[in-house]
Amino acid sequence: MDKPRHQFLERTIYSREELCGDYFILWIWDEALGEKCQPGQFFEIRAHYSIADAEETRSLPKLFKPISIYDNAEGRIGFFIKKVGTGTNALYKLKAGDLLELIGPLGNGFPFVTGRRILLVSGGIGYPPLWYLQKELIKHNLLYWVHGGSGQNDVFPCDEIWTEDGSFGKKGMVTEGIRKLIAEKKIDLIYSCGPIPMLKECAGITNKLNIEHYCSLEAYMACGIGVCYGCAIPVGYENDWNYLRVCKEGPVFNAGEVLWNKF
Amino acid sequence: MEQILNPLQTSLGRLKMNSPVTVASGTFALENLDFIVQEHLGAYVCKTITRYPKKGNPPPRLYETEAGLLNSIGLQNPGLDKFIAEDLPILRKTLTVPLIVSFSGASLNEFEQMLECLENQEGISGYELNVSCPNVENEGITFGIDPDVVYKLCALLSPLTNRELIVKLTPNVTDIGVITKAAEDGGATAISLINTIWGMAIDYRNGMSMLKKGIGGYSGIGIKPLALALTYRAAQAVKIPVIAMGEFITGRMLWNSFGLEHL
Ligand SMILES: Cc1cc2nc3c(=O)[nH]c(=O)nc-3n(C[C@H](O)[C@H](O)[C@H](O)COP(=O)(O)OP(=O)(O)OC[C@H]3O[C@@H](n4cnc5c(N)ncnc54)[C@H](O)[C@@H]3O)c2cc1C
Ligand SMILES: Cc1cc2nc3c(=O)[nH]c(=O)nc-3n(C[C@H](O)[C@H](O)[C@H](O)COP(=O)(O)O)c2cc1C
Ligand code: FES
Repeated sequence: MDKPRHQFLERTIYSREELCGDYFILWIWDEALGEKCQPGQFFEIRAHYSIADAEETRSLPKLFKPISIYDNAEGRIGFFIKKVGTGTNALYKLKAGDLLELIGPLGNGFPFVTGRRILLVSGGIGYPPLWYLQKELIKHNLLYWVHGGSGQNDVFPCDEIWTEDGSFGKKGMVTEGIRKLIAEKKIDLIYSCGPIPMLKECAGITNKLNIEHYCSLEAYMACGIGVCYGCAIPVGYENDWNYLRVCKEGPVFNAGEVLWNKF
Repeated sequence: MEQILNPLQTSLGRLKMNSPVTVASGTFALENLDFIVQEHLGAYVCKTITRYPKKGNPPPRLYETEAGLLNSIGLQNPGLDKFIAEDLPILRKTLTVPLIVSFSGASLNEFEQMLECLENQEGISGYELNVSCPNVENEGITFGIDPDVVYKLCALLSPLTNRELIVKLTPNVTDIGVITKAAEDGGATAISLINTIWGMAIDYRNGMSMLKKGIGGYSGIGIKPLALALTYRAAQAVKIPVIAMGEFITGRMLWNSFGLEHL
């Protein structure tokens, strides 16, 4: 057989950062693994069973959770996570020294470019993969990054911040400012990551203006390796489309090919 | 050299198997072989195929509940022709354990046609008739809830093949014993059960189902007692072998690389 394509790994968490709101970062260290990673790729991760007390184990989620690579500096790999449900709450409870179970890196990353004028658009927990991406792109391109969140607890360092409740930065949806930015900054390429409605809005604009746009999609996943077809999203053209797997064919897609009206 | 006896060795009808453990259709693909030793499996069951390609159900297709997984994949598959042309050669090349092809038709006639096509193909040790998928309208469960239909289907197909003919049953019936007996009387060489049971989860924030299609198929830890009870009843009703599924193993196998020592 060909050499293994997927590997199940256990790595010790060497540090943990608590951020504002419900956000936190888990760091692991593995240089060989770091070399295999690309911006836009993700890992399936899960809190190691042994960390939970016996009673809790029964209700621990079985599924691994897809989490993007937030940072990768010569093997210092970071996962920037928001607790939203059982899986991410189990991850939240991990401390430095605990074990993390991982499968990855998985999926196809963002295409790498040079000499472009790029707009990065993120919403909520769409922030982490763009952080890793901008680190790689910044030496070779002109970048401008806008980020949107629901309130002041959902915003992170970038060029321009929007909040829905106006508690930080500009008030409104992050997509409201995009048209103006594209014109002002002569943008010719967009990378985006965030909730589906945001990506859809963004794709509507780039489709009209005929601007290249790659988006990283979120989908509920089970296996993360292309087996179960649980993470499929509609991709193609009106009369010729299929459900493609976010974990295998994605998570990065050409926004012009995603059939946003079929969600 | 003295031959080492494998204490797990068993047989399914005419089929010799390394172990009594097989995989559940749709939850396991070649990718998973990266995580386990193939020879630990008794047989490999592929994802259900249908006569024509199936796009599958709209997303979201998955939700992990407190006690197991809901899915609404809708038998997304490339169809019989593409399966034979593209997937089967790879399966033949990769597998060292017997291949069981799971398939489903929209009518008795279609089941017959599919079997005839597959009979012409080498490298197949048996079939699993999926008459139990809860997530599609035509193929699947409509067959598996009626003992007369199950009998007719088995009586139609069993004379056409010398390979193993397993019928996969649904738990969504009043008396599993009657259906199991009907399959045996029709000439099935084994029974497998259970396919997923109907299930649903509601998002308390908006009162909507977590799955786009509303109701899905429920598998995992929560169905284990039911699966055990039905397997017990089925085994009492017939003399042919009964293959049990319902969190007996697949959950662990799929999501863990631990392999078989943890069973
Ligand atoms: C490719 C990819 C990369 C991701 N990267 C990150 C990341 O870097 N950091 C991060 O914090 N999160 C990321 N996510 C999202 C993360 O996977 C989910 O938040 C997580 O799976 C939730 O699991 P849970 O068990 O905590 O929540 P659950 O108990 O499963 O669900 C809680 C709530 O969140 C919703 N939900 C759960 N999973 C998803 C999902 N995947 N998409 C949309 N809604 C969902 C559910 O509908 C429910 O309302 C990513 C997702 C994908 C697909
Ligand atoms: C994501 C997913 C996809 C499935 N696809 C199929 C399928 O294509 N054909 C089939 O016969 N059963 C399918 N099943 C049902 C399983 O084969 C199995 O019968 C069921 O999940 C119960 O076993 P478990 O609790 O051990 O998973 C699927 C189950 C899941 C969770
Ligand atoms: S999560 Fe299973 S195919 Fe993508």
